[in-house]
Parts: sequence; structure tokens; C-alpha cells
Amino acid sequence: MLNSMKALRVTLGTMMRKKVTAEYPKEHLPIQDRYMGFPALLWDDVRDEPFCTGCMVCVRYCPTQCMSAEMTDNTQFAEGDSHRKKIIKTFEINLSRCILCGICVDVCNFDAIEMSHEHERSERERDANRVDLPELLKMGTKFQKDTGWKQSKPNLPSPKERAVIAEAKAAKEAAEAAANPEPEASAESPSDSPPEATAT
Amino acid sequence: MNEFNWTYVGVAVLGLFGLFSFLATVVLSLTWYERKMLARIQMRSGPSRVGPHGLLQPIADVFKLVTKEDIRPTNSSGLLFWSAPLIVFVSAFLVWLTVPFADGAVVAPQELGLLYIVAISTVGIVGLLLAGYTSSSKYSVLGGIRAAAQLVSYEIPIIVVVLAIAVLVQSLDLRDVILGNEVTIGERVLSFDGQGAIPFAFIMPLGLIVFILAGLAELGRTPFDIHHAESEVVGGPFLEYSGAHWAVFFLAEYINTFVIAALTVLLFFGGWSWPSPPESVFGTALEEWQTDALGVGWFLFKTYMVVGLFFWFRGTYPRLRIDQLMAFGWKSLIPLSFVNFILMSIVIFYEWPLWVMTAFSVPILVLGLYIGSRRTARLADPTTVQMYRRARREDGGNKLIPEGSGD
Repeated sequence: MLNSMKALRVTLGTMMRKKVTAEYPKEHLPIQDRYMGFPALLWDDVRDEPFCTGCMVCVRYCPTQCMSAEMTDNTQFAEGDSHRKKIIKTFEINLSRCILCGICVDVCNFDAIEMSHEHERSERERDANRVDLPELLKMGTKFQKDTGWKQSKPNLPSPKERAVIAEAKAAKEAAEAAANPEPEASAESPSDSPPEATAT
Repeated sequence: MNEFNWTYVGVAVLGLFGLFSFLATVVLSLTWYERKMLARIQMRSGPSRVGPHGLLQPIADVFKLVTKEDIRPTNSSGLLFWSAPLIVFVSAFLVWLTVPFADGAVVAPQELGLLYIVAISTVGIVGLLLAGYTSSSKYSVLGGIRAAAQLVSYEIPIIVVVLAIAVLVQSLDLRDVILGNEVTIGERVLSFDGQGAIPFAFIMPLGLIVFILAGLAELGRTPFDIHHAESEVVGGPFLEYSGAHWAVFFLAEYINTFVIAALTVLLFFGGWSWPSPPESVFGTALEEWQTDALGVGWFLFKTYMVVGLFFWFRGTYPRLRIDQLMAFGWKSLIPLSFVNFILMSIVIFYEWPLWVMTAFSVPILVLGLYIGSRRTARLADPTTVQMYRRARREDGGNKLIPEGSGD
């Protein structure tokens, strides 16, 4: 009897609460940062080109074989602006076949592919979800912007940068040589270890 | 009087059509109301896509049901199978002929209105039994028999509570229940107050609770929806019906829900009568039709509130098991209803003031429901387990009964 009254009170309480339903097309629930949507290609802002070199590792490891890629010579490398000798030319993913396993992301050596937040891609035809390189890059840049994505390791220097570094290094060595005319003498004098050990 | 009168026929047909369209609208609104209310209880939003706030959803549902294929099982008996929903519907519909919406706003006023309502609503059982019997499905038969057992059991408390009301106003006319009655015995003129003065809910709270609980069982609504328990008899008598015929059952069920709610309002909450006269609320004198319209509105408002209470129960309570249901009916509600009736008779016979009735019935109500709920709690174990326990107790230390899961 008393418990029945309590039950009525409980349902009255839930009736007064805010409803949990989101009216979907009008209202989107926020996506978690760790959400794994469809794979997308990322954009290197420093070099102003994609990270992807078209090495085909992801293509070979893809369990559903939904990707294809083609590489080409990088014109920026020829001009000395980029460290990538090769760059992606065409890339296509059939998102209808993709099972969102994330293996492509695990095997990639260049931070080039990432599971984006893209998930609303229902189409009426089986073939309608083939996305090409510009579309993939669009998805990827959106993902980078939304999540504040960061590169895991810095880029290698490009030929021009390498020349600058080499120049700077040479200049530094020259300056050091000028400052300490005999560095060997100061290094040798306090050594305790026998010279034979260093020789071997 | 006995001449055949076409005007009378015309008025009757118009009244029936009007009543039918009104009830159909009410049923549509009730389905929407129920879905919204259950949704809110479960923190959902309910129908929201078809029309503003899903208001057109019931119409879409009706369209779907009517255009669906109407399947008849091969071994069912055709005419009886198709006529079962009609019987259920007609009995639900006919009850409304004598339910007054306001003073005079009734299709067929009758002096024996209460008797008529009780009698006609019983016919629905035949339809349910027939639906179960003719479907040639074991679940339907079980459901039909369950429906018959349940409805016959719960008729009794309803009838006895209605009797107590009839004793209270010394009339079976629903109009007298609201407006009061005068009886002349010899030279004495006894006047009985209607509910304009004080709603009968305050005079017999015991009767109100018994009426609502028995009414819920009579409707086959949760927590008493034994006869179409989906998890046990997969929909009971309605199992083999589809399309338009299922829709007719559905219609009848919601009309019945509205009937019980309307009767609760008429018998216990003063029907169309305002707490104070509408003139005093609005400050101006009102035409007669305005008073009537206000009365109808007030009556419908109260009825929807009671229906809301039913939906609230549905969202709260799980279904009773069939033995619990029968035990609750026969061991709690029927004795309580008779206690209510006898108390009422004594109070009226000795012409005691009516608050004596209230003073007696509140403690009885509390005590009765307390004992009843204790017993139901004890009945939570299946009967077989209880028998096993008793056998072991009587067995003593002889260990003739093996130990088992009953312990």
C-alpha cells in the first residue's frame, strides 16, 4: 500500500524531469573527442600539403579493401620547400565498405590518416559514398580544427631548411673555433682513463 | 405515443452519428494523451514528428490500420470471428447513449440509467470470449477465458458500489445523482442532496477507491491487463486480429476507458456541476446554452483528469499475476464494496448525517487496503510453493516430503 504510493511518487518525479530525447535532425548531441568516425586525411599546415605520401601501407592493411591510393613526385620537394619526395595524387575510400576498424591509422607512418568525427553519411545507393582526395582532406581539416589535433613528431627539414641548418652549423663551428683556438688541450689534461681504452 | 414518428428517428440517427464522431475524436485524443504521458513518465518526448507535437499521429495510425491487410486465420469461423469486435464495440458505444454531458445534453435520457449502463457494459464480455473462441488459437482461447473470469469477477464490486450510490440518492437516474432527488413516502417528503452541494467522493471515499480499482480491472488496463498480457498470452483475444478489425477492438477499449472515467466523475466528482455556480465565477448572468457548454467543458476536463490518473497507473505498476488478480478481486474489493454498501444503507435508513459515512469509511479503507496489501505480499509466492510449505510443516520431522526449491 505504502509502496504503491511511493511508486506513484517516483513516476510523478520522473514526469517532472527534463526529457533525455534529442530531436535528432534539429538537435545534435556533442561528440566525444575519442569518437571514431570515418577515416580522413590530414593537412600539414606547415608545408601546406597533405601529410600523406601515398605509401600504400593503409591500402595494403585494410581488411575490407575499401581504399585505393596513387603517389606522385612532389613538386614542392623539387623546389626545396618540402621534405616529402613523394606526395599523394589520388586517394579514394569507399565509406560504405569501411568498417571503421582504425587499422589504417595504426599502420600509418606519417600521421597522415585519422579517424575523424564524420558519421552522418547515409546514402541511398551502395556506391554513393566513394569519397575522393579533396573530400577526405576537407573531412580531415575539419577534424583537426574541431579537436585541436597536434602532430606526434615534428617534420623533417626540407632541402632549403637543411641548407640553412648546415650553413648555421658551419658558421657556429667557425665561431667556436675562433673563440677556443685549442679545445683539445683543455679536454686532454684532466683525463684519468688510460688512452688505450679510448683507442679501442 | 405509439405512432411511428420520422422526426424522432431522424433525431435519433443524428444523435448517434454525433455521438460516434465525438467518441472517435475522443479516442484519437486519448491515444495521443496516453503516449505523451507514458513518454513523459519515461523521460522521453513521445510522438513529435507528425504535426505539431505529434498531434496528427493518431490520424496517421488510423490510416495505417485501415489500409492494412485484414488477415483471417484459416480455421477461424468467419462470421463469428468478424462479428466479435463489433459486439465489443457496440456494447461500449451503447453505454454512452445515457451518459449525460450536462443537464439535458444526453442522447437518450433514462430513469434507469445506472442499471442500463451496468447491464450493457456486461455484453462486451461475450465479444471477448467469442473473439478468443473463434480465433482457433490457444493463446486467444486462454485470453478469452481469462477475460471472462476477470470481467465477471470485477463486475460485482462495480455493481455494488453503483448500488450504494443509488441508495444514497434513492434513484437510478444519472441526472438525479448530480442534481439531487425528492422521494415522497406517505406524507413525508425526503430530499436527497445531489453533488452540487458536496461530491460523493467525500461521502464515500471507500466506494471511490473500490470503483476506480475495479474499473481499471474491468477495462483490462495495467496493472490488471491479465487478458491481453503480451508476455503470457501474446495479446489474448486480439491476437489473431489485424487491420481494421483490430482497430475496432482498440476503439472499444478506449471508449470503455472513457466510460469508466466519465462514470467516476459523474458518480463521485459532481459531473458537470461547478464548485460554485458559473454566474458567480464570471460575474454576469449566463444564457442557458452557455451554462450547458461550460458544464460540458468542466465535465470533459474532469474526465480527462481521471483518464490521466489511469495512464499514470499504467506507467507505474507492473502487471498482477492471475491468481493475485483473482485474490485481490474476491478477497479485497468485493468485501470492501459490500461493507461500503451496508454502511451506506444503515446511514440512509436511520437518516444519520452523511459525514458519519465518511467517518466510518476512511478507517475501513485504510485498514482494508493495509490488510489486502499484506495478503497480496504473502501471495507473492506461487500457490504450489505455498502448498509445498504447508505440507512440509504438517509433515513434522518425518521427512516424507523431500527438500526442494520451495524452501
